[in-house]
Amino acid sequence: MQSDLLTELGNSLLTGSLNDERLMTQTSGPQAVQILPEANVIKIGGQSVIDRGRVAVFPLIEEIVENLGLHKMIIGTGAGTRARHAYSVGLDLGLPTGVLSVLGTFVSMQNARMLNYLLAKHGIPFIEPAQFAQLPHYLGERGAVIFFGMPPYIYWHGNPTVGRIPPNRTDTGSYLVSEVFGARSMIFVKDERGLYTADPKKDRAAKFIPRITVGELKELDLNDVVVERSVIELMENATHRRSIQVINGLERGNLTRALNGEHVGTIISAD
Amino acid sequence: MSGLPKGDDGRHHVQSMLMRESLLDKDVQRQTETPVFKMLPEAHVIKIGGRSVMDAGRAVVYPVVDALVGCLKTKKLIIGTGGGVRSRHVLSIGVDLGLPTGVLAQLALADSLGNAHILGSLMSPYGVVAIPPEMFGHLLPLFITSVPGVIFNGDPPYSLWEHPPQTGRIPPHRSDAGSFLLAECFGCKSLTLVKDIDGLYDRDPQSHPDANLIREIDTEELKQRNLESLPFERVLLDLLENARQLKSFQIVNGRHPDRIAAALDGEHVGTIVHANPKQRG
Repeated sequence: MQSDLLTELGNSLLTGSLNDERLMTQTSGPQAVQILPEANVIKIGGQSVIDRGRVAVFPLIEEIVENLGLHKMIIGTGAGTRARHAYSVGLDLGLPTGVLSVLGTFVSMQNARMLNYLLAKHGIPFIEPAQFAQLPHYLGERGAVIFFGMPPYIYWHGNPTVGRIPPNRTDTGSYLVSEVFGARSMIFVKDERGLYTADPKKDRAAKFIPRITVGELKELDLNDVVVERSVIELMENATHRRSIQVINGLERGNLTRALNGEHVGTIISAD
Repeated sequence: MSGLPKGDDGRHHVQSMLMRESLLDKDVQRQTETPVFKMLPEAHVIKIGGRSVMDAGRAVVYPVVDALVGCLKTKKLIIGTGGGVRSRHVLSIGVDLGLPTGVLAQLALADSLGNAHILGSLMSPYGVVAIPPEMFGHLLPLFITSVPGVIFNGDPPYSLWEHPPQTGRIPPHRSDAGSFLLAECFGCKSLTLVKDIDGLYDRDPQSHPDANLIREIDTEELKQRNLESLPFERVLLDLLENARQLKSFQIVNGRHPDRIAAALDGEHVGTIVHANPKQRG
């Protein structure tokens, strides 16, 4: 199998095992390419933003429109309360995590379609995973594109360690888009200022944390966190997107400030 | 918004056990641990190795096809294929070009799909064909009750959304993982990985002729031993520990095709990897 046409790594991969840790250390390769270094990935919360309806969504839509031409935006949507209902029904009926993942995907798709129609007059498309090859074109032409936040794992969604809710939901799907494209930023738009020591909706004594590292966050072992735990874990292995910001989208101007690189919520970083 | 619980927090909720809850709250997560319905309890999932079987040519592939056809008489088979040498080639070029893990995963999908179609062509006289991944999951129960077996590209549809691995850039969820996750989700009877060695060894048997075969082991011990190389994807250890339905899988040598039928009958003919018994009841 030795061939002059192959790189040294090519020869090693053809003969060696992909499950060999020593060989895997050789696959970091030369410097990784940032595919869309100017793009910002924005995740719009389902329960936290879209389920609030017009009062929360319209100002955010206005802010997105104001930033067209200034910032490139890849916008992912959360699922929210209907996903919670579907998960509850599914859990009661004994359906596995993979099926719950399919159900969650449908809800985040509904939310993506709604945002799509609200932004349609600006020529901003909604794309499904199969259309991601066109994403760079839409981003170049229109400056923004909408996708559903759920990663397309469907029946192949891995189980969580505890319980049965799919662990890689819309935060994770959006985050992975920012990592794979080497995006400029990953902004999670929610209805809290950022990360607190407990759920501020239930615990008035909860303290705001403006900045934290993944290591510190793991050490705190909080019972509730503001972004999916898998985002925090994946960030540790990331090549490009090693920090994220969680902001309060109910406050006008926060999204623009975050797009401008300002610190307005909680910044969680791997380093 | 009438009929919806009043949004005193400004959000329009739908009444459910998870209403208003943070799905990231550990207490909420614990409440969602309930028994799982098995969708295809009679079907067996078999992963046919890419490099170990499909790339080895007629001398190896034809007897494996004969063995699979023999199993179809009494059993329902869901067959996944690996990408083999072509996957490794495209991965090596992709790494050299600096492309990220998600792109590598997307590229590699094409090779396992090619192998699925090769196997599907050979099994077409028996009505067993390769089904495109876009419709495979949703229509699987229809297929499996209509024909004795179906073939899919073993890779999970993670594509651009593949997780970056801890070491290097190769996608960690490949066709072993895709076959495992499918068997787990559909509550299938067994998972068998068909490779070109007798099972798991304490060292790589290709470079160490004195390596010892480990016939049976659980994930806890396997993690403790931290073997440098495994004959299956490392991520399977975590997937098995988190599995609710599959409690083990078996690795068998496709160079002894009779072992495939034996493994489906529950015989111990290769290495059986069990979930850590302490992990969950």
